[in-house]
Amino acid sequence: MKDFYLIYKNLTRKKMRLFLTTFAIFIAFLIFGAIMTLRSALNSGIEMSADNRLVVMHKISFTNPLPYAYVNKVKAMDGVKDVTHANWFGGYFQEPTNQVVTMAVDPESYLSVYPELVVEPEQLENWTKDQSGILIGERIAKANNWQIGDRIPLSSNIFSQKTGGQTWDFTVDGIFKGNDAKVDTGYALIHYKYFNETQAWGGDSIGWLILTTTDPALNEQVSKAIDENFANSNSETKTSTEQAFNKAFIDQIGNIGLIIFGVVFMAFFTILIVVGNTMVLAIRERTNEIAVLKTLGFESSRIFKMVLVESCLLAFLGGLFGIGGAYLIVQGAAKEMARFLPNLILDEAIFGQALIYMLVLGLITGIAPAISALRLNIVTAFSRG
Amino acid sequence: MSTLLSQSAAVIKMNIQSLPRRLWMSLAMVFASAVVVAILLAFLAMSKGFEATMESAGSDNVAFFIRTGSAAELNSSAGRDQVNLIENSPGIKRDEQGPMVSPELYVIVDGIKKSTQQEANLPLRGLDQRGVNMRKGFTLVAGRMFNPGTDELIVGAGVVSQFDGFELGQEIRFGKNTWKVVGVFSTGGNVFESELWADAKVIQNLYNRGSSYQSVRAVMESPDSLGAINEYLKSEPRLTHEAQAESSYFAEQGKSLSYMAIFGWVISSIMALGALAGALNTMYTSVSDRAMEIATLRAIGFSSFSAFIGTMAEAMTLAVVGSLVGSLAAFIFFDGLSTSTLGGSFTQVVFSFSLTPELFTKGISMALVIGFISGFFPAWRAARVPVIVAFQSGR
Repeated sequence: MKDFYLIYKNLTRKKMRLFLTTFAIFIAFLIFGAIMTLRSALNSGIEMSADNRLVVMHKISFTNPLPYAYVNKVKAMDGVKDVTHANWFGGYFQEPTNQVVTMAVDPESYLSVYPELVVEPEQLENWTKDQSGILIGERIAKANNWQIGDRIPLSSNIFSQKTGGQTWDFTVDGIFKGNDAKVDTGYALIHYKYFNETQAWGGDSIGWLILTTTDPALNEQVSKAIDENFANSNSETKTSTEQAFNKAFIDQIGNIGLIIFGVVFMAFFTILIVVGNTMVLAIRERTNEIAVLKTLGFESSRIFKMVLVESCLLAFLGGLFGIGGAYLIVQGAAKEMARFLPNLILDEAIFGQALIYMLVLGLITGIAPAISALRLNIVTAFSRG
Repeated sequence: MSTLLSQSAAVIKMNIQSLPRRLWMSLAMVFASAVVVAILLAFLAMSKGFEATMESAGSDNVAFFIRTGSAAELNSSAGRDQVNLIENSPGIKRDEQGPMVSPELYVIVDGIKKSTQQEANLPLRGLDQRGVNMRKGFTLVAGRMFNPGTDELIVGAGVVSQFDGFELGQEIRFGKNTWKVVGVFSTGGNVFESELWADAKVIQNLYNRGSSYQSVRAVMESPDSLGAINEYLKSEPRLTHEAQAESSYFAEQGKSLSYMAIFGWVISSIMALGALAGALNTMYTSVSDRAMEIATLRAIGFSSFSAFIGTMAEAMTLAVVGSLVGSLAAFIFFDGLSTSTLGGSFTQVVFSFSLTPELFTKGISMALVIGFISGFFPAWRAARVPVIVAFQSGR
């Protein structure tokens, strides 16, 4: 207990220095918390993908449509559990910049392939019955302040109505949520049948197929069978797991992970140097006192521990404030960014990582001064002072 | 006044010369400001490079027609009859072959990105010689032009550098079709270099597009003709298109990476606060380290102003050295770095980081702010501590 009093006194002897050092650590963990949350949000599509879900699209690119007949052909294949399909609607609300990701789907099969999407049974029934109804994700509802019963005009930047114009009127029949906070709900679903009947180009084509296999172990076999089945047809296919598909999409934006890692690493390294230097300096100033403590009979190892505990306390003091600050920022930004980013969540995993890094920071910055305190020779220390 | 100057000069010199005594603390401050500047410059250079790649592609004199509301070329469409109507528009320049109009197709194909070895979207543009002639700065750097009516294509220099398998003479399969690379072209580093070009009629045929196109480019008699063209588009009910100057279309697309610049400013500003805390620590240490010196100088008649200036100069020097190191590092690692990302039409745009002098100014300004604030408060203390206290604490 006495040791703790000494450590406390040592920490707080120069209030300005304590404040500045804590602040530097605070900033490092603020950046860490915010950036890791951002990264996990961007990767949530990969993390949340089901291991038995496959995506089938046109071999040339996902912008080329597939014939509707493929749905039943794939359904009949071995190892396939459920099959559904989707069309990219290219939706926007009022202004082309205000994108609303909208897909035209078959309600029943889509929700059976995506069991993580949760809708109140009553809302689901209303939507299934209502041809011109739309089921919107919670994130979209929040970002646009839409409620059940609202009539929303959605325009397409690709399709036109048979009757002319590019704007469809939809009624919000329900709002779907995810069964896990990380499931993205930033899109809306409309009826494929209605869409196909009202759009001007006609033709029974779909954008891509999504299917579940009866067992993830069959994924490879099923993908191969599908692609081989349609080889040499007019629309050859490319089947990949949902995870690979989402990862390829994220990778297209560029190496975000590397950039983010770079920033966090540099921020950390900088703070490490700043704090490490301060600790070295603080201990050097105390050379005399440490010599006195040793003269009084304090064991070297006890002093060694005291210095390390001091640097760790400093790291946790700044670090916990920093991660707390990041949590508040994320909470505040989650609603503001709902239009652009998947759910921002600072979860236990990130918090746990932060705790480990605080400990590492404390140990690294404390180790050099602790060793020099350990080795300090009483006689030379006094003669130097 | 002159004594003030000579006093200040003497103190500045003493401060700088005593720097090695506080070597590690001083280096920490230099390093911290270098990192802040380097991170800021990296993000700004990324955003700037992308913008330049887009903006340099557009011409003021070319009208660009896409269907109203389609926002990007990929989503637009134009039937053969609509193209004919556009050709009749006023304000379009004509030569011996008729109106200078280029109807074009824009389809997405897959290429393997060298950096990730993953498939990424590339645009395959269908056009004819007329369209090629509208691209300023177009040159073939290797091979020859594709022959109309064949499955030959020419490849932008950016694609060759960032993607596998597009070298001259290679055969490429997209779905069922095989293409032959017969030429590599450059358009001076702009976005067109991220594209593959082939004959429009062949693409219409292979991709079941009938006789329809997606976007239309037309050379205008003058940039002022745009008004007349748009009036004509509005008065013609069979046309659902709008025209804009090609340059303004690309300027708009170039802004899509400006969030990177914002992100860079936010991150580096927050980091600057952390660096500032470190720098203040350094400077307070410097002042307490030289407390004896400062007290002596003030006792023998140096003004407190010279003590203030001395500390300020030290802080500014460290920050400026840091910003130079940071700028140099950013220049070495990032300037000209070639990379690619998703552009407005869901396709890859190859671009290079570009560090302009203007960006360096921004980086150095940020370091100067850090230097100023971190110098000011400790300098204030140096100037204000009573001589007697300084002597006591220095002992």
